[in-house]
Amino acid sequence: MKRWVLGEFRSPERLLAAARALRERGFSRLDAHTPFPVEGLAEVLELKPSRLPALGLVGGLGGAAGAYLVQWFTQAVDWPLNVGGRPLHSAPAFIPITFESGVLAAAGAVFFGLFVMCGLPRVTHPVFELESFRSASVDGFWVSVAVDEAAQLEPVAETLRTLGAVQVSQVEGEE
Amino acid sequence: MSQPAPKAPVTADPLVTHPLIAGRYSNAELNESLMRPVLAGPGRGWWVLVGICSALTVLLVVAIGVTLLKGMGTWGNNIPVAWAFGIINFVWWIGIGHAGTLISAILLLFGEKWRSSVNRMAEAMTLFAVACAGLFPLLHLGRPWKFYWLAPYPSELRAWPQFRSPLTWDIVAILTYLTVSVLFWYMGMLPDLASARDTARETWKRRAWGLLAMGWRGSARHWLQWRAAYVVLAGLATPLVVSVHTIVSFDFAVALLPGWHSTIFPPYFVAGAIFSGLAMVLTLLIPARRALRLHHVITDAHMDVLSRLLLVAGLFVAYGYVQEHFFGWYSGNEYEQHAMNILRVGPYAPIFWTVIACNVGVPQLFWIARLRTQPVVLWVAALLVNVGMWLERYLIVVAPLSEDFLPSSWKHYAPTWVDLSLLSGSLGLFGLGFLLFLKLLPPVPASEVKHLQHELEASEAFAREVAARERSAGGAP
Repeated sequence: MKRWVLGEFRSPERLLAAARALRERGFSRLDAHTPFPVEGLAEVLELKPSRLPALGLVGGLGGAAGAYLVQWFTQAVDWPLNVGGRPLHSAPAFIPITFESGVLAAAGAVFFGLFVMCGLPRVTHPVFELESFRSASVDGFWVSVAVDEAAQLEPVAETLRTLGAVQVSQVEGEE
Repeated sequence: MSQPAPKAPVTADPLVTHPLIAGRYSNAELNESLMRPVLAGPGRGWWVLVGICSALTVLLVVAIGVTLLKGMGTWGNNIPVAWAFGIINFVWWIGIGHAGTLISAILLLFGEKWRSSVNRMAEAMTLFAVACAGLFPLLHLGRPWKFYWLAPYPSELRAWPQFRSPLTWDIVAILTYLTVSVLFWYMGMLPDLASARDTARETWKRRAWGLLAMGWRGSARHWLQWRAAYVVLAGLATPLVVSVHTIVSFDFAVALLPGWHSTIFPPYFVAGAIFSGLAMVLTLLIPARRALRLHHVITDAHMDVLSRLLLVAGLFVAYGYVQEHFFGWYSGNEYEQHAMNILRVGPYAPIFWTVIACNVGVPQLFWIARLRTQPVVLWVAALLVNVGMWLERYLIVVAPLSEDFLPSSWKHYAPTWVDLSLLSGSLGLFGLGFLLFLKLLPPVPASEVKHLQHELEASEAFAREVAARERSAGGAP
């Protein structure tokens, strides 16, 4: 069982200030839920840079290498077909498919990697139990603080109120 | 030096005269107006258009049925014009898709802010155009049910596809393009699907969009990964879009036929693709903006910049025409010269000069700033460019084939009713797809527009602050 205290702010600037203040007060298990990306929030929450670009590079190189190997094996090794005496292993003619397959593999790796990194897809999450949380994709800028003990809930909620949250709620459930 | 406080909204570029977002709205208001197309029921106009497009789609199904049951003989192409409508329509549709990727990916990399409110519709256009494009080579195979012979699978025939042929390159390019376009479109839509889920009142709508949104919570961790992934996909789509039409042009340029065998073809095809795609974006965007009441986010600024792009792409295409004809003459080869002469003064002259008028003449209107923001002028011009680009592909495919090396084998081409039905039917399928998209999925990226407005407000506040500081410094001349 995990517990969260959620506070809604009305602008990205207020959210950012509140998140910064929470970090200064020693809260580390923070997250935010916003309708659009808020500049500077990742730095305040000390999130690590995404590894998806690297994954895309690996996927792309792998896809390209695989496509080249398939072409080389089928054209030059397994089924050598003489077309007007042209070389069986004709690298320039293999470039288009190698490139396209590299792009396809990289895009697929990044796309599916995104879902893995975000822990999606998932149909339910405790925060969705909160009716007012629907504003998180419309115009509400929410900050969430994860706590272990039920006794911590009220002090954290009080902190959020003093930081200017327009509404504060508590949810609990399995993450 | 002091300046008057700039009129809202300012952008980074002092030359921009039209606002990207007309007026200022709260995030809730923006959300309401941008989600309205999917939350409100469809109007009568939508049903009329869906009826027309469905009728055309039925025609498409009939024409495909005739093609499959009776065979390729029902099409007008034969020797020597072995490629005709199948390939013309394919090249035309695939080209149209390219502007969607230009707007969504290339402009993202260039940091162009105006793409925010139009990219979703442009990408949807790409998807349906590429789907229509894929139909034609598939049918052109003659035995479409054997399409998997083009994939390298361990067959009991112990034969492999011939990867040194542009046909196999084409298959991989088109499938990659379609897949990457779908992934990019869907990934960009995730936050807006969540927004639609959270705004909808009916339970079934919340469930449907909820499933599509995959549980998006707009978490800071989600956004961090999403932005990284979005830029990487844009970076991948950019060379992809150039490569796809290049590979399409290889279908022609790798052949030895006069009029096809030319190194200008790859860049010339890419320019033509973006040109025709921009025309199709305008063709769809102008009525959609009116019907969905999106004038506040698709403003004169968007019309202005799209018509400028149309003009620039048109100039690239015109350069391609000049080069093509120059090299035809400069080659000193009488077959090359003949292939170009039949366009200018031969049997294809009426079509050729129509193409020049539509593709080179019409875009020149947009040197005039006033015309760039006139929706009616733009829409008619865009339609003419669409027609002109289709006819251009007709000339590219049909003319060189009909009169090649040996005059005794010359023969001219005429389409049959099946050809014409396939073309009009694919237009119906495209329109149907786009109409359904407008009503089922958020057509304007609400999260991006909200973000853009926030950026514009910050830039306004900054400009005001600078002006105030300069005033208080007192040193103003």
